[in-house]
Parts: sequence; structure tokens; C-alpha cells
Amino acid sequence: MADKPTELPEDRTGKRPRDLPPANADQPKSNLPGARSLKPHWTERLATFDRRWVFLAMAIAIVVPFFAPLNLPVKASPRVRALYYSVESLHEGDVVFLSMDFDPASTPELAPFFRAVALHLKRKGVKMVLASTWYAAPPLVERYIREMVDRPLIGPDDTDYKGPPDRAYKQNVDYVWLGFREGKEAVIAAMGNDLRATFDHRAADGTPLADIPMMEGIHQLKDFDLIITISAGFPGTKEYVQQVQSRYDLPIVAACTAVSTTDLTPYYDAGQLLGLVGGMGAVAEYESLIGKPGLGTQGADVLNFGHLVVILAIVFGNFIYFAGRRQRRKRGQ
Amino acid sequence: MLGMAVGLFAAAEFYIPAHEVRIIQEHLLQWGLILAAAAFVLGGVNILQVNYPKIRRREEDWGFKLVLLGGAAVMGLVGIRWHTIGEDPTNGTIAVVEHATESGALIRLDSTRADTLAKIDGKRPIDLGAPGHVTEVSVAPGHHTVKVYMNVAGYGDLAEEVDVPAGGVAAVHGDLALHWGPSGRVYTWIYDYIFAPCNATMFALLAFFIASAAFRAFRARNTESALLLGAAILVMLGAVPIGRAISDFFPQLSDWIVAVPNNAGRRAIIMGAALGAIATSLRVILGLERSHLGSD
Amino acid sequence: MDLATIDLFGHWVGIFLTFCILSFLYKDNPFYKLAEHLFIGVSVGYIVTQQYYNVLEPKVVQAIASADHWYFNLALVPLVLVALLFVRSVSKRYAWIGRYPLAFVVALYAGIQINAVAQADLGQQMKRAMSDVVVDRTNVNTASAKVIQNMPGMSPDVAQKIVAHRDQQPFSSLDDLAGLDTLTADQRATLDEGRGHVTGLDARLAVTDGQIDWFGTLSRIFMVLGLIASLVYFYFSIAHKGAIGGVSRFGVWVLMIGFGASFGFTVQGRIALAIGRSMDILGLDKAPAVAEQIHGPLAALVVVAIIVFGLAVWELRSRRAR
Repeated sequence: MADKPTELPEDRTGKRPRDLPPANADQPKSNLPGARSLKPHWTERLATFDRRWVFLAMAIAIVVPFFAPLNLPVKASPRVRALYYSVESLHEGDVVFLSMDFDPASTPELAPFFRAVALHLKRKGVKMVLASTWYAAPPLVERYIREMVDRPLIGPDDTDYKGPPDRAYKQNVDYVWLGFREGKEAVIAAMGNDLRATFDHRAADGTPLADIPMMEGIHQLKDFDLIITISAGFPGTKEYVQQVQSRYDLPIVAACTAVSTTDLTPYYDAGQLLGLVGGMGAVAEYESLIGKPGLGTQGADVLNFGHLVVILAIVFGNFIYFAGRRQRRKRGQ
Repeated sequence: MLGMAVGLFAAAEFYIPAHEVRIIQEHLLQWGLILAAAAFVLGGVNILQVNYPKIRRREEDWGFKLVLLGGAAVMGLVGIRWHTIGEDPTNGTIAVVEHATESGALIRLDSTRADTLAKIDGKRPIDLGAPGHVTEVSVAPGHHTVKVYMNVAGYGDLAEEVDVPAGGVAAVHGDLALHWGPSGRVYTWIYDYIFAPCNATMFALLAFFIASAAFRAFRARNTESALLLGAAILVMLGAVPIGRAISDFFPQLSDWIVAVPNNAGRRAIIMGAALGAIATSLRVILGLERSHLGSD
Repeated sequence: MDLATIDLFGHWVGIFLTFCILSFLYKDNPFYKLAEHLFIGVSVGYIVTQQYYNVLEPKVVQAIASADHWYFNLALVPLVLVALLFVRSVSKRYAWIGRYPLAFVVALYAGIQINAVAQADLGQQMKRAMSDVVVDRTNVNTASAKVIQNMPGMSPDVAQKIVAHRDQQPFSSLDDLAGLDTLTADQRATLDEGRGHVTGLDARLAVTDGQIDWFGTLSRIFMVLGLIASLVYFYFSIAHKGAIGGVSRFGVWVLMIGFGASFGFTVQGRIALAIGRSMDILGLDKAPAVAEQIHGPLAALVVVAIIVFGLAVWELRSRRAR
């Protein structure tokens, strides 16, 4: 399985150092010279303490803040604003292509983005064509369509939302779900060449594309007014840029996981991507622009604490390291 | 030889705008997709081939391998579209009875399943309640669209247009068919409650390991690692609301780190990787590189 | 809307499997193995059916079935290639036949890769890298609304208003612009927030041509030098000594800052995934009515109790066995 985490720990046994007897446990407290130095210095003991305490700190940091949110204000960065304006400049009746390249693992970062962009597109009356190059995606996408496209996202209870309302979209009238095709970058190249043949001239539910009025005039990727890639890795945004963006000069904006953000910023910088939302923090920024805070905003709030745990772990680890280094030097090396 | 022809064509297609060339390229790409899909099926078969003998020989952990094969068998079987084999299932019936009510027009709805919803003319959904329970909706006489559907994935829909005359009653009886296959009820159940949580948690584990690695491994031993750690901490602070709450300086600095030094380094890597990819691709096409074919 | 019993049960199964996998944080154990093997098994069945119904069925089966003559059909070509591919797993003796489809695929991917990478990764990136080092401030009196809207503190609406005003009467200073009377209070506040002499509006906008954005220019110079230094570090495999050594050391620093940024983002991504799991279990990503029926936190406590008990029994038994 390619899906398994590649960074599994080397130390699988997870032995507890504190369960072991201390090195000098059976030595009588003597006044022999050097006995003191056998006792591990506090920095050594701290440096080898059970990493499962760090796990516990992280677990607390990602659960407890949900019950005591900070609700810090969010402000959009330039990359996120650029994506927002690209969508904002679309008109009613325009057709966008959404590439849904992710699996359940990346939903915490990408599902809130899809919810926000679906609301943005629907309230502007923009039509959508959805497809995926990830085999893990189809049931997920079908659920999102059922929950976020087929139904209005703004209900009567959303009193704090001030933007225009959206409506329920109709399948094969307001949106088309094409399904998934295997082949990684070859699929993307094929869609650039002939979108209809790639999806065998029919939507995922079997309706011939020729019978769908909104697909009129759409044969290739370059026929869309905007391409929005929502990608969690390979194949995804990078492959769209390589295979089709430069070749057909396509307007592409991307939402990606935090992990691939720094890989994609050079493309944003060179104008190959018109906007970029990278990670949960950026999704929160996009939600603030839409005016409908959701899971991204809630998650970013908790993310504060997760980041603090990691930063403290780094600072603490280095403090012990430097203190220990001084101690080792003092001991006479 | 075959490889060389295909590769050269695929590369040359970029420069030739002719229609015929595009068509041939399209066919080549489609065949590529088919082979890529077949390779995954082959991979699945291989996993079964590797695990079956282990169970037969009762090797260590054979019970878990049995779970593996069982999972694959169940998912494979429920992934077949059984409901499309033989007669096409209907999803219910609509009958219009004239002169059945005193005033206006009525739509009478019922369903054989619990959790069924109905929409009339695309308005807010109506819950049809327990099986057999009849819901009556009074409508204006004339043309209406009725859609009866389930709240969860994996069932058919009954979507019909109906003309209800004044004084008429349209009886809509939903008998939604259970679907099998990749959009079916059981398949999506397994996907939602087994595949998805496992997939997500496997990756969520990494959050814990990264925290522990931050504590144990990230030491500012020299200038390089100090720069790495400094940049990491600044970007971490800049990416979440708390950085901005401390000072506006953090998000701006983190944006600058990403946009300038990071982009400079990344760009060097991208260009290097591109040169490498071009060189490897040329070697493959010209037949200088054959390691992917395995040794004789 | 009531949750069907089977779905309620499903949510609990999901919570159970989540904690089975998290139990790996303690150590490798039977609960983790159970979830892992179940996941791999289900994935195999899942992938095979997805590939069949999304690719093989429409592109091979239906293409052949719907053709006028089954024997004169281009869809037979991939069918033969697929058949050759499968020879590999059936017979060791004839496994060499499987090389032909493999050669086809690898060469095809190599072919489409060459130009794509050359154009997008080399051409476009090089073009951007070699663009002018001196960055001029944007002249608010001549620039298009599209350019102005991407400046700090701006929005499309504000940019439109600015363009409308300057077409009547050009701005004489940026304060002039900030005091534009058509702006709403909100827009004015955002605009004020966007001002600043280093990276803010004052550094990037001007009312005349030819003003230099100093910070932007310095950043560009840094970027170009960083790119060259990183490339030097990569491609001069000779001893990094003297001048080249200095340059490549600078290149390493630039790369390290980049890796630091990546690491920062990676931390964010990984923690976000864990947050996603806790949202799921706490029921925050579901409609409140649904979350109430699932009792996520309670189910989690029960599941944790079961797993802890199971692990304790497992530890005791394996200790006794030793």
C-alpha cells in the first residue's frame, strides 16, 4: 500500500527508560571518588525521557482547545486573497473545473476549503464540473456533492452569515460529476487534449455528456473559465502546471495541503498559479473572506496549540542539549 | 523498439498541431490509462498471491492475514453492481387519480423504507417517516416535479414529473432499490466507517511522531541547522492566528521566508529535477535505460 | 433526521478503528495489527473495483461491446497489452512477455514528461528568475485595477473606486488616496492597515512612474543570488573551496531556510490531520443532531477502556510466556 505513512518510527519497541532500574541503584551511597559522576546528569535523563509524554502533550493540545477556543481574528494573506479574487471575478453561468485529488486522510485540510469554495461558486451562480485523479476520492466526492452541492449551504439558522445565499444545485444541470480515471499525469495530459474522450463521453452516473446542456462547448480543459485544483499530493496541482497549464495557458488556482505548500509557491510566484490556499491556516483565511467561518477557522484555532507544543519541544530539546553540552565539557573532555 | 516509437511520438506531438496527431496521441494516452488501471488490479492480485500461502502454512500472524483477505473479498464482492444484473429495479410508482379530493390538488407520498426524503418542485425536503406512513401535501393543480430519495448514499431515486389536475390526487409510492457496487450502500458503508478512519488515522499518527522528533532530533548544532530551526519556528508562528495576535511582524516575515529564500531554493530544486527528468526520459525513449524491464 | 442503526454502529466502528491505530503510539500491538490488516484488505478490494468500474469497464468492456465489429476495434489493442501484462503473474517462464506493455507505458510517460517539464519547470521558472531585478513601485495613476487590487489592503471594489477617481483627477499623494471619500469605513480601515514603508502600501505604490520599491528590489536580488548559489551547490561536484565554496555555503543556507519553511508547514499539515480526527470523534464536523446521536466522546471513552484492558491482558500474557 502506497498509502501507509512513510515516517514510521524506528524505535518500535518504545521501551520505557524509567522502568529500567537506575544505573547506580545497587551501588551503596559511598564516598568513593567518581561515584557522583556515575549518576546521570539531569540533562541526560531529560534527553532520554519517554517520548510518549510528548505524545500525551500533543493529544491534549489537539483536544482540549475545542472546549476553550481562543477565537483569535484571522486575516487573509496575499496568496489566499489572490485565489478569492480569481473566484470572485467569475460571472453567473461561467463553468469551472474542480479537480478533487485527495483521500480521506487529507479531509481536515481540504474539506473545509471545498465547503467554502462551493458556497462561493454557488452564491455566484457558477456551474461546476468535478473530476478526480485519485482512486481514493470517488465515494468521498459523492458525499461532498450530496452534503454541500445538492443542498444549500446556508440555512435559516445561519444568522451570523451576511453574504448572499446559495441554492441547491441540480446534477447535470448546474454541476457534472465525471468520476475518477487512473493514469496520474497521463490523465491530466489526456484531459487537456480531449476531456470528453478521457471520461468516455459520459458523466459518472452514465448520462451522455452530449445530453447535458451546460457541457456545450466544453471539450478540453482550456474551455473552462477557471480550474480549481484541490490536491493532497501526487498527482495534483504540480502535474496540472506541468502537463497543461503552460501548454494551454490555463487559469489555475490551487488549494493544497500544508505539506506541499512550499513546493507550489514557486509556481505561484511565476504566475503559473493565480492563487494558492495552503493548509488549514490558509483555509481559515479564505473562510474569513467568504464571511462564513467553518471547520478551517475552528481547526486553525486548535492549530495554535499544536504549533506551540512543537515549538516548545524544539526549544526545550535545544535547552537540554546546550545545558548538557556545557556539563559534558565541564566533566573534562 | 516499440517503446522508442511511442515515446518519440508522445514527445514530438507537442510540436505538431495537426488534428490527426492529436487523435493518435489521444489513443496512446487512453491505452496508457487502461494499462495503469490494469497494473493496480495486478497489484491487488499479487497481494493475495503473497498472503494466501502464509495462511495455508499457518505462519506467524496468519490470523491477521486472514482478516486482510477477508476484507479484500468482502469489499470486492460488494463492489460488484449486482443490482444491474438481470431486470432493472424500479424505484417506485406514481399514479394519478382524478376527482378524488374536494378542493385543490394533493400529492400523497409513502415509502417502503425508513429515512426517505421527498422534494416537490425542488423545495425543502420532507421526511416521509416510518415505512407505510402516508404524507399528504396539498399543491396547486398543474405540473410538478417529485423526487423521492434516501438520506444516505447507495439507493436509487424516484424522480418523476407529474400533472395533477384540480381535484386530483397523485399517489407517489417510493420503493427505492438498494444499490451495490462502488456507489452502493454496503460499499460506501465500508468506505466511510473502515477505509476512511483508518486512512486518516494512519496519517494523523505522524503529528505525534513529528512532535517527538522535534524534541529529540532538531538541535541547533551549527549554522545550517540553526537557520532551519529558526525558519521553521517563524513559519509555524506566522501560519496560525496566534502569530498575528503577538505581532503583525510574524505573518509578514513568514510570508517573506516562503516567498524569497524558500522560493529561491525550491526553484533550484525544481530546475534540477526537471533536467534530471528530461535526461532520464530521453534515456528511456532511446533505450539506454532498461532497468524498469527487469534483467533477463 | 434519525441516523439509521447501521450507520450509528458504523460511526462507532470508525471510532474503534481510530483508537486501534492510535494504540501504535504505545507500541506495536494486536489492536493495531487488526486495524492495519483490515485496512489493507479493504483497500485491495476497493482499488480493484474502482479501477474496474472507472477505467476498465468503460474503456475496454463497453468500448468493445458497443463497436459494430468486435474484431475491428482499437480497444482490442489495450486489451491485448493488459493480457500480456497479466502473463507476468501467471507464468514465470513467459514473464518476459509482460515487458512489452511495460515498455509501452514507461516510454509513453517519459514522452509526455519531457516537454511538460521543460516548459513548465525550466522555461517558465527561468523566465521568472531572469525577470528584472529592479522592482518599480506600481503607479496608481496608470496601473490597471487588476494590478492594484492585489496590493496590501486593497480589494477589487476599492481598486475600481481608485480607477474611477483617478480617471477624473489623478492622485497627487498616497494620503490623498487613503482619504478617498467614496470608500466605506471598513475599506478605509483595511487600507490603513495595509500601509507601511517596508512591505506595505507606501513601499509598493506611487503616484508617479520610476519610483523604486527598495525592499522588493532587495528581495529580488536575494532571490536571484540564492537561486544561483543553490544551483552552484547542486552542480559543482568539485571540491567546494575558495570562492565557489563560499557561494555554495550561501546556497546551503538558502536551502536550509527553505527546508525550515517546509518543515514548519509539514508540522502544520500533520497536526491538522490529527485535529481532523479529534473533530470527527467529538462530532464537530457533523450536523449537531447527528453528532448528538453518536455520542462520540462517550464512545471514545468506552473504546479506550476496551483497548487499555485488552493491552493489559496482552502484556500480562506475553510477560508470562517469557
